[in-house]
Amino acid sequence: MSEYKSEYKVWFGRVYEKDSELEVRKSDDLVQSFEESKSEKLDKIPFSLKEAGIRVFGSEEDYYSSLRRTAIQIAEKEIERELKGSERYLISLLKALDELDLGINLFSEKIRDLEEIKIDENTEKFRRIVRDLKKLRRDIEDEINSGVARSMPNMSEIVGGIIAARLIEKAGSLKRLSSLPASTIQILGAEKSLFKAMSRMKKGKKAKTPKHGIIFQHPFIRTLPKSLRGKMARFLASKLAIAARIDYYSGELKEDLFESVKRKYEEFREKSKAKSRK
Amino acid sequence: MTDVEILKQITHNVFLVRYENREFLVTKSKFKPHYGERKFSDFREWIPYRSKLAAMILNGYTVDFRPEIKILYLGAASGTTVSHLSDILEKGHIYAIEYSARPFKKFLELALERKNIIPLLKDASRPEEYAGIVEEVDFIYQDIAQKNQSEIFAKNAEFFLKKGGGGLIMVKARSIDSVAEPSEVFKRVLSELERSFSIVKYGKLDPYHKDHIFVHVEF
Ligand SMILES: C[S@@+](CC[C@H](N)C(=O)[O-])C[C@H]1O[C@@H](n2cnc3c(N)ncnc32)[C@H](O)[C@@H]1O
Repeated sequence: MSEYKSEYKVWFGRVYEKDSELEVRKSDDLVQSFEESKSEKLDKIPFSLKEAGIRVFGSEEDYYSSLRRTAIQIAEKEIERELKGSERYLISLLKALDELDLGINLFSEKIRDLEEIKIDENTEKFRRIVRDLKKLRRDIEDEINSGVARSMPNMSEIVGGIIAARLIEKAGSLKRLSSLPASTIQILGAEKSLFKAMSRMKKGKKAKTPKHGIIFQHPFIRTLPKSLRGKMARFLASKLAIAARIDYYSGELKEDLFESVKRKYEEFREKSKAKSRK
Repeated sequence: MTDVEILKQITHNVFLVRYENREFLVTKSKFKPHYGERKFSDFREWIPYRSKLAAMILNGYTVDFRPEIKILYLGAASGTTVSHLSDILEKGHIYAIEYSARPFKKFLELALERKNIIPLLKDASRPEEYAGIVEEVDFIYQDIAQKNQSEIFAKNAEFFLKKGGGGLIMVKARSIDSVAEPSEVFKRVLSELERSFSIVKYGKLDPYHKDHIFVHVEF
């Protein structure tokens, strides 16, 4: 094949270009060639794909019907793969994020120790490692955010990618999360403190039961005065329960869900401001 | 009175009709409803609250889609708008890109009954991954609600849009910038698009879609 200038992987096989001549080879396995056609070339294909295809399919009609049939066959396979894989992938990214945080903390401590005893060349090395780890952390965070926006657009809008991914991790899956009542979603991730409180109570001691779990990290709750956080958390959890269901059943963004959360937050903000003015 | 009265033809297979004393935008269609829209006689209601293209048309602007053209559609979701474009492009084809599996599952039901739809579960920001599948097209429609959507649109145009071809970009202010004034966001998007395209027309999608505009461009 060395005499050919370029080879193009297209969905129906290979196209070879020599001078201005094209040689078209149809693949025996269209599903395979379709999948392989993810070309790494960043350029546009310089010939008419359809005309090259018609040469091997015989007619425009056959070209399109084969294309459509193959595309559908592949789509069916990919949907299953994607639905199964995407949550697992997000959860593993989340784990990586947490491990990175541990690492960053550990190295940062080390740097402080070294600074105290003034060992310069080593501190620089550790600083570089921390810088790299932080960069990696940002990349992983971006990847989580875009993955959640893609497969859970409603939760993503309401609480952002990281909190949404943590909720899914805690619940085990989006399916499971979508079946939970709002009151459970509200305290997801607070189980540890809930158990602590319960065991204190069992021993006859006083304890407060936790009101907020993971969603407590959300700025819409954190930036409110303590007296309003519980109410906001309850509201947020109720909308999240709806969001999780829509994300699980249709996966399409419902525009007014986030609006209502934002409105509620602004209402509470106003209330707290009015109170503090009094 | 159950007769459908045609008030106006807007473009191929697109009509404004009166039915049961109400006006509807519809496409002529031999297919069953896809997203909860009504069907009366040969017409499928085209709901402007669900489809930005319908909102644009009801706001008085029309792009004349010829029935034989090829369209690359970015952000097909479950196929609400694509289903109507499919009614219009009786002799054409729609290459429909969507990257989220759940809505795509429902979209596939549509693609199974319509011969002119080629469904592709792909990321619109990576046209190089479908460069060996999608041919040169006459038109690109984009509704992806992404921060860098004008960049994504331009990239796809470079790959697939013929010179002189058209495009429609639906822009949601908040997905580009959640804090800036919508009018500022729109200005920014328009100037980005002007780098590679000439702008034919843009306009609001109110009251159907708040803080959205359509932009019609030529390559
Ligand atoms: C507003 S919805 C589209 C609605 C649809 N155009 C209609 O009118 O029926 C936006 C869609 O774009 C999809 N999307 C966003 N970014 C994308 C990308 N980079 N590639 C493919 N699809 C994308 C989202 O998953 C979502 O389904």
